[in-house]
Amino acid sequence: MSKIEIKNLEKIFGLQKVLHGIDISIAAGQFCVLVGPSGCGKSTTLRMVAGLETITGGEIFIGDRIVNGLKPKERGIAMVFQNYALYPAKTVYNNMAFSLQLSKIPKQEIDRRVKEVAEILDITPLLDRKPATLSGGQRQRVAMGRAIVRDPEVFLFDEPLSNLDAQLRGQMRAEIKRLHQRLKNTIIYVTHDQVEAMTLADKIVIMKDGKIEQQGTPDDVFHNPQTLFVAGFMGSPQMNLTKSIVKPNGLIMSDTKINFSLPKFLNVGQEVIFGIRSDDIRLFSEGSVGVKVDAKLDLIEQLGTENLAHFSLGENRLIAKTSGRTSLKNGDIISFAIDMNHAYFFDPLNGKRIK
Amino acid sequence: MKNLFNNINEQSTPYLFLLPCLLILGALLSVPLYKVVEYSLYDNVIVEKNPTFVGLKNYQDLFTDKAYWSATINTIIFTVGSVFGHLLVGTCLALLVNTDINPRARTIFRSLLILPWIFTAVVVAVNWQLLLNPFGVINYALREIGLIDEPLDWLGDPSLAMWSLLIISTWRGYPFIMVSFLSGLQSIPIELYEAAEIDGAGFFGKFWHVTVPQLMPVIYGVALLDLIWTFQLFPLVWLTTGGGPGRVTEVLSTMTFRYAFVNFQFSQASTVAVSILVISAVFTVFYLRNEYQKI
Repeated sequence: MSKIEIKNLEKIFGLQKVLHGIDISIAAGQFCVLVGPSGCGKSTTLRMVAGLETITGGEIFIGDRIVNGLKPKERGIAMVFQNYALYPAKTVYNNMAFSLQLSKIPKQEIDRRVKEVAEILDITPLLDRKPATLSGGQRQRVAMGRAIVRDPEVFLFDEPLSNLDAQLRGQMRAEIKRLHQRLKNTIIYVTHDQVEAMTLADKIVIMKDGKIEQQGTPDDVFHNPQTLFVAGFMGSPQMNLTKSIVKPNGLIMSDTKINFSLPKFLNVGQEVIFGIRSDDIRLFSEGSVGVKVDAKLDLIEQLGTENLAHFSLGENRLIAKTSGRTSLKNGDIISFAIDMNHAYFFDPLNGKRIK
Repeated sequence: MKNLFNNINEQSTPYLFLLPCLLILGALLSVPLYKVVEYSLYDNVIVEKNPTFVGLKNYQDLFTDKAYWSATINTIIFTVGSVFGHLLVGTCLALLVNTDINPRARTIFRSLLILPWIFTAVVVAVNWQLLLNPFGVINYALREIGLIDEPLDWLGDPSLAMWSLLIISTWRGYPFIMVSFLSGLQSIPIELYEAAEIDGAGFFGKFWHVTVPQLMPVIYGVALLDLIWTFQLFPLVWLTTGGGPGRVTEVLSTMTFRYAFVNFQFSQASTVAVSILVISAVFTVFYLRNEYQKI
């Protein structure tokens, strides 16, 4: 269990700069998730920590050691790959034992450790089988077993669940979380799935175009997004974001006016992007908190426990979350209450939060 | 009934079109095969109008002939040595041209290294004869750097001839292995090497634990195919040493040729040819079984 310190990390591939000075500090035992869209540099960052990519600039510390010049095996890390990367010709047992065999650990000790980890992951009956005969979920477990057996200081996970079906993904997600609670190792976990990021992380680092947009606890990045990108990226359905103009006692979005008392940081005439999560748009009823708007429903997405009601205000499309028990139909004119206490405002020019 | 007839007709149409081709190919394959086996059971075929049937006497004579056994041993040495040389050089070069270097340079190296395979055996043989000539470039170079005092007769010296032949055969045959292995290497996922690197494997560790097991099906198939081809290889041996000096590099294929077209003993030639056929057939069965398992 070690802390990880990434300082001003840069990476250039050929002529293209893909990482522009990344700073991340991960406490010992923390579960840190790097999340962002494809090509944001999250996997490159992870691979640089692993030692699979050279470092163009900056420093990486694992514990108190600077690891820039060290080979992967000298860094005290173990990695779980997206495609599992199990050795096809080796049995599950030998896949897990391989690194220990290479470090010339006595056979009995290897046997004890492999069996112990197999027990934890519930893969003891698979030990004599070859990877080709295993299902996706089983392979994933073996890949994790191979990492755990080494008892590394740091675990690195590179989109480990993206090849699994939705149900299995949810199950494995919980298992990884449980495993972390049990082993308490430091983890860096890369994913493009914000649900995975929210559920697993102690700390989320949201990246875009080789830069960090925001880092913090899941709660912090979700409820306190500092940029338009973070606001749009975290949360499902996406936060409603609409271009608006500030008026003396409210906002105008295309032709719809929303009246509310302006916070001090907004100036009349200013262009802003108004953001509101679909949870904060509710069906209007007596005593509802928020501004009342009437709109025609375009589309209903039924998710069982809740419905996503799509509607338009002028040119802007918004989504409201309603209870799954309410019966709504396309074309209904519905009154919604927008809770302005949870509204966000962003600068359309630089995407920064106005507050 | 008419329906059934129509049905058969419909199904058999494609075979009907294939029939001429199948007939010709079948005849070209089976008639010579049959004839060779038949010749081996007669005496003085072709040269005499009415050869006498001698049964297995030709085989009896052959198996008691020291020259046959010496040629068999030479064939084994030549085949095993060549296949080993092909595998060794082919693997090393496949690994080299698979490395991550400038793509243009890589293409040039790949093209250059495949050249020995493109030349016909005659060109290869003549070139190597010139190179290995006592007054050739190789002797000159070796003398210049001081490795030898006197020029060596690489193809004429009984103690060197087989070695020289193996070098020529290796040079000529490695590109096939190299190309086959290269395509095999390219299909190995890079993550396996990365996983091995993180597990602590060095260059040889990665080679033994990732490359070799992943290439194994290719290695087995290609080595068997090479074994079959080299076992009956004729032109390269005949054109470089002609089986000599004496009978030092005589292999079964040159022996067949010598019996047939030098001594005009076609019956004996057929007998040797049948013995080659039987051994090649055994290798072929192994090869086909391996290919079948892949499917």
